[in-house]
Amino acid sequence: MTASSPEVVSGRRPPPAEKARPTPPKNASILRRAQASTAAVFLLPNMVLVGLFLLFPLALAFVISFQKLDSLGGSQYLGINNYADLLRDSVFWQTLWNTGVFTLFTVPVGMALGLGIAVLLNSVLPGRTLYRSIIFLPLVISGVATGVLGAWMFDQYNGFFNKLLSAVGISGPQWQSSGHWAMASLILVTLWQRVGFDMLIYLAGLQGVDPQLTEAATVDGATGWQRFRQITFPLLGPSTFFLLIMNVIYSFQVFDTVWAMTRGGPDYSTTTVVTYAYRTAFDEHGPQELGYGAAVGVVIYLITLVITIVQWRYSRNRDQSG
Amino acid sequence: MGVTRRDFLAGSVGAAALAALAGCTSTHSGTGSKAGTSSTGSTSGAGAKSNIGKVTGTLTFAFWGGSTGETAGFNYAKQQFEAANPGATVNLKVVPYDGFFSGIDRGITSGTAPDIFRVDYTTIGKYSAKGALLDMTPYFSNDEVSAFLPALWDAVKYNGTPYGVPHQTDTTCIVYNKAAFASAGITSVPDKLSNAWTWDEFSQVADKLRSSLPSSKFPFAYDWTQAGAFRWLSWLYQAGGTLLTPDLTKAALPSDPATKAMDFTKSFFDKKWVPANNTIKTSVYSDNFFLNQTVPMSFVGDFLVPELADPKTGYKGGAWGATFMPQDKSAASDLGGNAIVALKNTKNPDLAAAFLKFLASEDMMKYFCEKAVELPTLKSLASESLNYAYRPDVVAVCAQQATTISDTIVKESTTSAFATVNTILQDQLELAFHGQSSSDTIRNIASKVNAAL
Repeated sequence: MTASSPEVVSGRRPPPAEKARPTPPKNASILRRAQASTAAVFLLPNMVLVGLFLLFPLALAFVISFQKLDSLGGSQYLGINNYADLLRDSVFWQTLWNTGVFTLFTVPVGMALGLGIAVLLNSVLPGRTLYRSIIFLPLVISGVATGVLGAWMFDQYNGFFNKLLSAVGISGPQWQSSGHWAMASLILVTLWQRVGFDMLIYLAGLQGVDPQLTEAATVDGATGWQRFRQITFPLLGPSTFFLLIMNVIYSFQVFDTVWAMTRGGPDYSTTTVVTYAYRTAFDEHGPQELGYGAAVGVVIYLITLVITIVQWRYSRNRDQSG
Repeated sequence: MGVTRRDFLAGSVGAAALAALAGCTSTHSGTGSKAGTSSTGSTSGAGAKSNIGKVTGTLTFAFWGGSTGETAGFNYAKQQFEAANPGATVNLKVVPYDGFFSGIDRGITSGTAPDIFRVDYTTIGKYSAKGALLDMTPYFSNDEVSAFLPALWDAVKYNGTPYGVPHQTDTTCIVYNKAAFASAGITSVPDKLSNAWTWDEFSQVADKLRSSLPSSKFPFAYDWTQAGAFRWLSWLYQAGGTLLTPDLTKAALPSDPATKAMDFTKSFFDKKWVPANNTIKTSVYSDNFFLNQTVPMSFVGDFLVPELADPKTGYKGGAWGATFMPQDKSAASDLGGNAIVALKNTKNPDLAAAFLKFLASEDMMKYFCEKAVELPTLKSLASESLNYAYRPDVVAVCAQQATTISDTIVKESTTSAFATVNTILQDQLELAFHGQSSSDTIRNIASKVNAAL
């Protein structure tokens, strides 16, 4: 305020001048209400869409899960019988297990591979934009197309992989008729498709790692691995957290690749929870029990919710970097 | 954080609500709902409207684009119908097979379903049991009804009332590579239905092929994949058994023929007669195995003949022929093929019925079956040899095979719960082919079929 104040002399901006006179309370509340109603008008279209296409179907799915509903609309109230049947359904527990195994093998492996590729492609390398594009490209292909491609390539009699292996003299595994190998083929195809996404996020995260820190570490005598482990990786915390949530949710809800590649077979060894829900409710050659499928869907929703809450709580304090 | 009083109240209210919801009813999603009251259908009023004359109005007809031949056949019928009935328009709607019936179901519940659609005999029961289809009784006189093969007219009936027209039929026959047979030492292939291989002779053929083939190839593949699981029943019928009791209310299993059929078909995998992934829940069908020459012999439906015989994309393994399904106590094959049905609440029932009758008339059916390479349902056409667009010799074999589709097979394949039966077969056969014992499989099938009926 005065010209000789120390803030003005040192060059920092002076605090803003106080208002000449306070706004009377009546005008302030009118102003706030006007602002609130303008905000409401802007939010309304979005809220209508969210309500109609997100919340309403969600509520309806809850309602349907308490019914026996068939494909032509005939419904019958069942209480919690669908859920009771679900708990007793051994196929359902197997699908949960399959989904868990699938998630366990695709998420950490995919993230590790993505991180490794990102670190390699972060350095100055001729043609690195080309490599990045090539590795990212599978993500752009639809899940169904990837599944069909996988079904052809992994065909145990005529597929590319087994023919390649037999050219070197190894008899390839039974990718379709063995449950374990079918799951392995699914995991491989999913990794191929998803690694690009992990690489991209980690590349972006690596740009945020201050090179001064790594230089300081080098000066202090840290090896490459120590630099990576103690500096770079912790600073990638937010990227890792984001990828963990995205990948776990994605792996938990995988459907199109599985359906196109193995249809959940052989037996139920590659059936995931979403594939099971689809088969029960919508597959026109399946039982077409929409109520039961809705119950499976509700269970998927609850599990995904729990995973998200747990991860969020755990990482709430680790979200800041530096 | 401790449990506050509010949390406790909320939790107990939730638990009480759940308890109130529980035990309200004893039905479960998996149990079948009782079908409508049974009636034997009325013949009074039969044929009351069998001579409508010219009709006007607009119709939508939905079918799946299975082959160019089928689409050409339906297009021809549409043009002829519109020429004969000025003022009538038929809009053809070609939809992919995958998801076709889901689309019909959604259309029915939302009131936007096509007036007329094509449906296979094993699925028609689902719609007629719910009263969704137009009753055809007034539109066909008794003479016109008797022009159809009786088994196929029965196939469109529900509780004695016809709900559509049987348009064509298909069945399975064996196709084989002639050179592979020659090099395996198989010299005689049945050329008459009465000479069809017995199960023993068929086993010998399979053994000969097995010893002449490398380990990456297999003697044959069967067409029981995915929705084709019900074609396993052909082995049951051949062994002299049935799936259901004559009144169609209970399963006729366990039975000796069932055990025989189950053991025999499971042995296909143990003896490496079929590829290990020729089970139910795969994405590779029996025609795929034949086309990519993993098997020199395959059980395929006659509707696949155009695909195999296509000069550009068809079978590339050399000369191939067809023969009959094996027989044991009797010869049997599966009921394939499609009917055309109309919706009950279509805006113009007379127009819809007139178009259905037109499609099933002799000239239209002849043209369609010749182009699409499928088998007719009229007696007059079944006895003459049609000019099929591809491999008439192969189709003639399938046409003879179709005469082994007995009344029992038709009745069992067209019960309203057959879609559920097919799902049960899919699940249990997959387990059986992966090691579940025959007796367990048959017991499971019996109990689940009983629950579904």
